[in-house]
Amino acid sequence: MSTTIFKVPVGPQHPALKEPENFTFYVEGENVVKVEARIGYAHKGIEKLMESKTYLQNIPLVERICGICNTAHTVCYTQNIEYLYEKPPPRRAEYLRVLIEELNRIHSHLLWLGVVGHEVGFDTLFMYVWRDRELILDLIEALTGNRVSMSFTTIGGTRRDLTPQVEHRIRKGMDILEERTKYYKRTVPIDPTISARSKGIGILTPDEAVQLCAVGPMRRASAIKEDVRKDDPYAAHDEVPFNVISYDTCDFYARIMVRVDETLESIDMVRYCLDHMPSGPVRIRLPNTPPVGEAVSKVEAPRGEDIHYVRSNGTDKPARYKVRAPTLGNLAPLLQSMTTRGRYEVNVADIPVLLAGIDPCMCCMDRMLRFIEPSKGKSWVWTMEQLKKYTRKM
Amino acid sequence: MSLAVELLRNLVSRRATVLYPFKDREKVHVPEGLRGRLTFNRQLCIGCGMCFRVCPSETVEMIEDEKGKRPRFYLDRCTHCQQCEDVCPTKAIGLTQQFENFGFDRKEMILE
Amino acid sequence: MSTSNEEHIASEVKSLLGENLLEVKIPRPRRLFLKVSREAYKQAAKHLIQNMNINHVSTITAADSGKEMDVMAYLFGRGVEVTLKATVPKEDPKIPTLTDIVPGATFYEREVFDLFGIVFEGHPNLERLILPEDWPAGVYPLRKEYKVTRLKGPREVE
Repeated sequence: MSTTIFKVPVGPQHPALKEPENFTFYVEGENVVKVEARIGYAHKGIEKLMESKTYLQNIPLVERICGICNTAHTVCYTQNIEYLYEKPPPRRAEYLRVLIEELNRIHSHLLWLGVVGHEVGFDTLFMYVWRDRELILDLIEALTGNRVSMSFTTIGGTRRDLTPQVEHRIRKGMDILEERTKYYKRTVPIDPTISARSKGIGILTPDEAVQLCAVGPMRRASAIKEDVRKDDPYAAHDEVPFNVISYDTCDFYARIMVRVDETLESIDMVRYCLDHMPSGPVRIRLPNTPPVGEAVSKVEAPRGEDIHYVRSNGTDKPARYKVRAPTLGNLAPLLQSMTTRGRYEVNVADIPVLLAGIDPCMCCMDRMLRFIEPSKGKSWVWTMEQLKKYTRKM
Repeated sequence: MSLAVELLRNLVSRRATVLYPFKDREKVHVPEGLRGRLTFNRQLCIGCGMCFRVCPSETVEMIEDEKGKRPRFYLDRCTHCQQCEDVCPTKAIGLTQQFENFGFDRKEMILE
Repeated sequence: MSTSNEEHIASEVKSLLGENLLEVKIPRPRRLFLKVSREAYKQAAKHLIQNMNINHVSTITAADSGKEMDVMAYLFGRGVEVTLKATVPKEDPKIPTLTDIVPGATFYEREVFDLFGIVFEGHPNLERLILPEDWPAGVYPLRKEYKVTRLKGPREVE
């Protein structure tokens, strides 16, 4: 029997593509049986570049590793260098770092909720959530001077202080955001579109989550209660109380609800920080050259656990700096959750929502997908827009 | 059904978008402490070179003029991180609230 | 006086490996740095992951220190972040893999192979992860011999 193979080339430069990354799906009928991924289209070479700049010049570079979780990377970096000096920052600076981290987490989760609404096909939710997101961007701008890349922490503490006018604005903003988030928490579970496209989709069992080393909300949505802020507390997290959220349905619906509940917890943490802020200086001066040694620092970014490693050799430039962003840790669990195995089926129509489910922060994900059907010998290529149109027709 | 109530409520309330820059330019709220465009005061500068050592993106270049050493700023490379203002001992450098920084020629973006 | 968590783990690894455990450092609470020889690396990792329940692999990376390279595996469990370090000479950059114990380590080992050239024996598919296909073979960017060259100065305008 001779087989014909159909290939439709949609090249790397195409007006419909948003970001470059590459997945290859092996399909039989409607079920996906195997997934392969190719990444690395936006490798910027930051680790090598950091070895040729001083410790102070590296702070804006570390901030630009990711646009949305930039606070997590700067807090992790400055903490790492302070571990080398063995001198902790003042207590008020640690409370301010927790404040800015939780504001960043609220922003990131609200942005993601809008993106999920867009991927599922519910553009009204997308518009409403992004209108509420403008409120928190204005609060961040009033506190730090810029909407996205905040540049608030430095080696030895923070650069700016909290004034009473900004504190008043933050309290008013938190009241409004709490009411809006509770509204989303009521409507998202009962809405028929979101329930049909998220309940029972993309199962990742707890054993698989532990074996494949999932991090962040992906791990907590599989009934494992682990969080870096509780297991390995840093900054002021040993005094600020919060609950670790986890759901045990292990599917995409659990991932949405974990993030919505974490937003509500973050609003309470911001209020606690404002009520209990200690007084004192916000910065100590440290010499230019840290002592010889190595240090490891971990932080809970909005997407998961972020780990940095530094090794210094007595000069004012680092000898080796390693960054492991959280999305790389979630790549293997993602590929596993998109495969049909045992009694868990994954259809072609579930692919766009599952790709958005890990909250991907690899700032270039190619939306050109190649499909291979081995039994019929067919292979074809679609862009993301074509796939979305196909999924909405069902 | 609660979404229908929300829809009706938003139909009668104010529009959320601001038509910048065509109609509502003055309605854009700019907070104090915004990190905008650089300014430089030559009278206060003592030529220590700290801004050059601290800038992460090579915006600053040290040159000589009749009073001594002084920096020159290439504003198309600036990342607005405010390190130069933090470290200057005489407060000769400042960041303003102007957020519209563009020019049609590279030579317009040099600050002396 | 009672031993802390980190000292307890270090003493258990020492009783397993004997003189193959070269160095122990505890710089601050919840951080433990263990340096082992290359032959005992897999045995130590297996004991920590399977018998002592320290089974979350945060990352695997390497660093270049002149004539040799250090391979470091970061494991988290029981409230302690354990760094397991093994030294590999540059003429013979081979070390056993950890993917048969923990499958989640595949992407980390592929990244170290791509950027440093260290071969993990027993890995299911050791191929490129980050660099493009037409990158010249045998050139490893994160080693110290590879110098970053600048194409254009900061003041050159066309």
